[in-house]
Amino acid sequence: MNLPKTPSLSRAVAFAAMAALLLFVLHPFVWLFLSTFKPEQELMQYPPALLPERYLFDAYVEVWNRIPLLDFFRNTVIFSVSVMVVSVFFDSMAGYAFARIRFKGSKVLFTLVLITMMIPFQVTMIPLFVEVFKLGLLDTYWGLILPRASSAFGIFLMRSFFVSLPKDLEESGRVDGLNEFRIYWSIMLPLCKPAMVTLGIFLLMNNWNDLLYPLMLTSQTDMRTLSAGLAMFVGQRTIEYGPTLAAATLSLLPLLVVYAFAQRFFVQSVSTSGLKG
Amino acid sequence: MMTNQTRKRMLQMLSKPERAAYLFISPALIILLVFTVVPLLATLAISTLRLDIFLKGATFVGLEQFEKLLSDDRFWNALKNTVYFTAVEVPLQIVLSLLAAVYVAKNTRFRKLLRSAYFLPYICSFTAIGIVWSFLLDPQTGLYPHYLHELGLPQLEFLRDPDLAMPSIVLMSLWRNFGYTTIILVAGLQSIPDSYYEAAELDGAGKVKKLLHISVPMLMPALGFSFVITTIQALQVFDPIFVTTQGGPLNRTETVVLYIYNTGFKSAPFDLGYASAVSVVLLVLVMAATLTMNAYFNRKESSL
Repeated sequence: MNLPKTPSLSRAVAFAAMAALLLFVLHPFVWLFLSTFKPEQELMQYPPALLPERYLFDAYVEVWNRIPLLDFFRNTVIFSVSVMVVSVFFDSMAGYAFARIRFKGSKVLFTLVLITMMIPFQVTMIPLFVEVFKLGLLDTYWGLILPRASSAFGIFLMRSFFVSLPKDLEESGRVDGLNEFRIYWSIMLPLCKPAMVTLGIFLLMNNWNDLLYPLMLTSQTDMRTLSAGLAMFVGQRTIEYGPTLAAATLSLLPLLVVYAFAQRFFVQSVSTSGLKG
Repeated sequence: MMTNQTRKRMLQMLSKPERAAYLFISPALIILLVFTVVPLLATLAISTLRLDIFLKGATFVGLEQFEKLLSDDRFWNALKNTVYFTAVEVPLQIVLSLLAAVYVAKNTRFRKLLRSAYFLPYICSFTAIGIVWSFLLDPQTGLYPHYLHELGLPQLEFLRDPDLAMPSIVLMSLWRNFGYTTIILVAGLQSIPDSYYEAAELDGAGKVKKLLHISVPMLMPALGFSFVITTIQALQVFDPIFVTTQGGPLNRTETVVLYIYNTGFKSAPFDLGYASAVSVVLLVLVMAATLTMNAYFNRKESSL
């Protein structure tokens, strides 16, 4: 039997702690958003303040002249969206075969896929750089997209989804005389739309935000992605504070919008990765 | 353009499930082979060479690069920094995530909202986050040193202070990543059947008892996974450092991956052979951590 007083106190403490955590999480976002409207002097003044004294839109206008932001956006979209589409397609096809078709060597090959999942990119990046260079693909979209056109995690995720589907779904298709690709494409794939969206979001987020990978495989400014391009510009410390913050804000915006509408899939992509690591 | 011949052969393959399977897996597996497996083996090979970024005149030097590592103070410094980051960041992240997860696991409206908010930093690039935090922590114009000063603390230099730089990086990483492990742990908590808690309540167990005797043991798989994945990520830390301190001040935040990048790509002599040797050390480090932790958590699970 709990005394009524103790739980309410512990509840209040827990609530206060979680509210403080919320403040800790949101404060930098609020500061960033407000600061993009501050005039340059206000960003350099002491003491600093959270709220702007005057609200100006200058930073958002200036940023396009200061940084090749349009190039960065175009490159990021082409890179991350292409990777998402192609990888979801290849991964689902492979996952389907591993889950639903018995074939010689499937166990060994799938184990190999699981092993590649454990290899960190950072360990393979030097030869990858050499490889992409030898293929003549440095500073090209192909060079960015091809190495990411399939992912071991994606194959693993899609396989576990296909395994969970009821048995013998394919048989009706075989009876109707469909070939194996039609069975996969028109019977099985429509059933796993949620899994595909989950994987797609996961890939989009990771590639949109990736820093080291595009940093290695591109060197020309007009081929940089948002992450790599902004990191280089900030490193040079040549541009004003206002446009820097505006660029950071704009680079975050697309994923935040997707998150607002498809939050379920972001959460799913993380929690499914945790269920069977 | 497919010729009629190959089209016919493809269709033939697709009429037999077993043959179709090979067709289905080949694009994905070829890409993994060419861009992950081959580079992995090549890392091992290049670490025995003297080779620079211009890729001319590679000479075989056996284990020379690894011998060089042993007496390279900067390498040991990078290793020390990486271990320090991992040893501090991982436990903090897991504890914070666990506390948050226990609170937000219930599906009320407010707690769902908290969950969404906590996860928010994780969808942001470290580039943007690094920009924001280096402003917020700036000794002259940053808001956080100012707040702390108002509270009566000395004006701290955070990312510019050799002793505080790494803790600042830990703070940033914690801020960005704890929502990720919170989501994993929430999924784990929600998969525990309510009947377990009800049974414990009948036995008179309080909140703390329920947490220690039901939640934590039942959470072992999710907790184990969180530990392993966070450790792997921590050992490879690069992004938050590259966009803020670039390894400084006084190399106090130069980690192993940053050292690989710096020796191989950033400055002369662009020593790919030596950078590969460091990569091999990283691989061994990550593998050792993964296997030990997996073994530990598997034993824990099976002993329950």
